[in-house]
Amino acid sequence: MTENAANLTHHHTEPAPAIEAHGLTKSYGRKTVVDGLTFQVHAGRVTGFLGPNGAGKSTTMRLLLGLERSDSGTALINGKPYAALTAPLSHVGALLEAKAFHKGRSARNHLLALAQSQALPVSRVDEVLDVVGLHDVAKNRAGGYSLGMAQRLGIAAALLGDPRIVLLDEPVNGLDPEGVFWIRNLMKRLAAEGRAVLVSSHLMNEMAVTADHLLVIGRGRLLADCTTAEFIERHTDPAVYAATPAVARPALLEEAFMRLTAGAVEYSAR
Amino acid sequence: MTFAPSTSTSAAVRTSHAAVRPTHRPGMTDLMRGEWTKLKSLRSTWWSLATMIVLSLGFTIAACAVYTSKFQHLDASTQTEFRQDTIGLILQPGVQFASLAVCVLGAMLIAGEYSTGMIRATMLAEPRRTRALLAKAGTFALFMYVVSEMVAIPAFFIGSAITRSHASVSITDPTTIRAILLFGVFMAAMGLIALSIGALVRHTAAAVTIVLALQFVLPGVLSLIPGSAGEHLSNALPQGASVIVSSGHNLSNVYSPAQAGLILLGWVVVLGGVALAAVKRRDV
Repeated sequence: MTENAANLTHHHTEPAPAIEAHGLTKSYGRKTVVDGLTFQVHAGRVTGFLGPNGAGKSTTMRLLLGLERSDSGTALINGKPYAALTAPLSHVGALLEAKAFHKGRSARNHLLALAQSQALPVSRVDEVLDVVGLHDVAKNRAGGYSLGMAQRLGIAAALLGDPRIVLLDEPVNGLDPEGVFWIRNLMKRLAAEGRAVLVSSHLMNEMAVTADHLLVIGRGRLLADCTTAEFIERHTDPAVYAATPAVARPALLEEAFMRLTAGAVEYSAR
Repeated sequence: MTFAPSTSTSAAVRTSHAAVRPTHRPGMTDLMRGEWTKLKSLRSTWWSLATMIVLSLGFTIAACAVYTSKFQHLDASTQTEFRQDTIGLILQPGVQFASLAVCVLGAMLIAGEYSTGMIRATMLAEPRRTRALLAKAGTFALFMYVVSEMVAIPAFFIGSAITRSHASVSITDPTTIRAILLFGVFMAAMGLIALSIGALVRHTAAAVTIVLALQFVLPGVLSLIPGSAGEHLSNALPQGASVIVSSGHNLSNVYSPAQAGLILLGWVVVLGGVALAAVKRRDV
């Protein structure tokens, strides 16, 4: 088979990416926060979205979700812009920030209101509450929740519509080890079920053991788009890489990341 | 407090039965159902309403009692007003207190979504922002209408009973029925105005302050302007449209109920339009 024919075959059989960004650009005033980002996120794996603080990770996610309008470029979810999705929560679930709900409302009512807006069966509310383990406290007001419980509520809201695509923005911030462990396994489970998981983080050791694929950005630009193993191999000092046994190589992610993004950190301590 | 999340690898996020899908293509009714759940699940909603009903009816009774017992001491023009527009006088205290509660609640409801970050969940559930806002506004307006009538109707019966010795007002009089039904419309309009300001300001304390200033402080300030200009300006504010909650027989009002109704509609449409445009344009 000639190379062209092989390429054609490859493109036809590859499923459409769950998330697709093309030339995505956003500036606030003179500061360009997202600069011509082009990438794809595929189902069935956990894609880690890495970058220093201020690199544009959260802004990119908000652009993907239609919460902000890009200056140029496109962001597609299942091949459509977010605003064109019917019952969007059944396509994409997102956890963007902790405690983004009304303090006076119970978890159950928060989820119920969302479920009703998407014409989802009411039974789904109790299902997700069970999955995240908030069933016993579901009727309490959410303002009394600890950070860990609030994160679980956010995840429950993200999973409410049983979406094929899940976006998580720094989900393990502030969690205790049990919470970190739980989220890591949840993300792996979601990916194993065939969903696309995009998780942004700046915790290298966590990402090393969670993410199959990495998107690394710095100052709004894409710096890397490859598997975790490839990233570690390409950006670690070759001598260090060779000297590290294969089973310990994930721990090199931090160093690889620092080497790649050294010039892209906004505010660094001396 | 212990809580047990599913950590076993065999417990899928989706339980073993069929995939979860929306039961039908969600429409405006579904959005409004969600907004209703949001509205009724906040304690502040019910506290505001309880206060509204208690204060409105309490002051209705007090005002009617005072007017009736002191009737002989009123000057001639006031006595005439009393008789011409009894329903207007009976419902005025309710109008004042109910619109106060409605304004605070409306501003809080929307500004609270912004200040807690809940607005992001709302916009993720419905990215078409006009529809999302209309669902919220529509649900709130309907709810305010119903609750306001729960103030207006008892106020009428109690108030008319108290004032019967000096002025009778009949439920079968079309202007009476109109005043009672428009009480709820006035409150719904106030609520929509408060929602619009809340959506523009996005900060709860500031929104409540601005709405209350517009409704209860600015009319007094404008009326200080000498001549009829002051009167016309002051009564052209939304609160001035409370004259629609009257029999219309009191000719000393600056605007007729019909004119006031149009002015009120203008306020609702203009502020609502500006709020919608801002919400659509801004990042959430």
